[in-house]
Amino acid sequence: MDFPVSHLPDGVAVLRPAGKLNMVSSGALREAITGLLEAGHRRLVADLSEVTFMDSSGLGALIGGLKSARQAGGDLRIAAVGEQIRMVLQLTNMERVLPPFERPEAAYADV
Amino acid sequence: MCDAEPQSLALSSPPDDVDSVHELLEAVWRKHDDVRDLDRMAFETALVELASNVIRHADAGSGVRCSVTVAVTESRVEATLVDTGEAGDIVLTAAQLPDDLAESGRGLPIIQALVDELTYTRDGGLNRWCIARDRERC
Repeated sequence: MDFPVSHLPDGVAVLRPAGKLNMVSSGALREAITGLLEAGHRRLVADLSEVTFMDSSGLGALIGGLKSARQAGGDLRIAAVGEQIRMVLQLTNMERVLPPFERPEAAYADV
Repeated sequence: MCDAEPQSLALSSPPDDVDSVHELLEAVWRKHDDVRDLDRMAFETALVELASNVIRHADAGSGVRCSVTVAVTESRVEATLVDTGEAGDIVLTAAQLPDDLAESGRGLPIIQALVDELTYTRDGGLNRWCIARDRERC
């Protein structure tokens, strides 16, 4: 799985995984998030528009990333989720913890 | 097309992984193009969670072999997984979601929310898991 990263004008780092976020790829997602934090990025967005499937392993990697980002004084938010990801977030009551924003640009519009 | 002829996969982990389960389901959906999107999405999520669970339990030992069989009937989508892993100590009563910031423990609650039947039996040194989802009415 590839993890291209782009940067919004306000310094937010946008991570764009593609394909399936399952137990095969979740470790790489976790490492990519850790790498961004170690490089000094604090406000992260996972743009999930190219992710076709996410299971509890992928969700676990996002939650791990969220915790690491908060420990570093930042945050991890998610954007552009498809129907299957939304279903998993709803079933696990995680929409409160990881509310999906429509677009990456909207994820930090409140701060 | 609504026949009950099953499609199956012999998975040996390592090196095989859950991506092969996704591929099996793609072949199943190609054959049964009348299965609705919601059923596909729900069933794929449940089956991948179950297969992940089987593979993860094998990680502690010397690997696991697992056969995955999927059948589509007019009323249901069903899968059977038979694996060589250690006996499951899993309790199939209503599973609770973990704390918000827990990084694991959501697989079983997800499966239970998405299928109408989930059974586990231990027989002849093998684990047998069955899941079935009632299909949306066409």
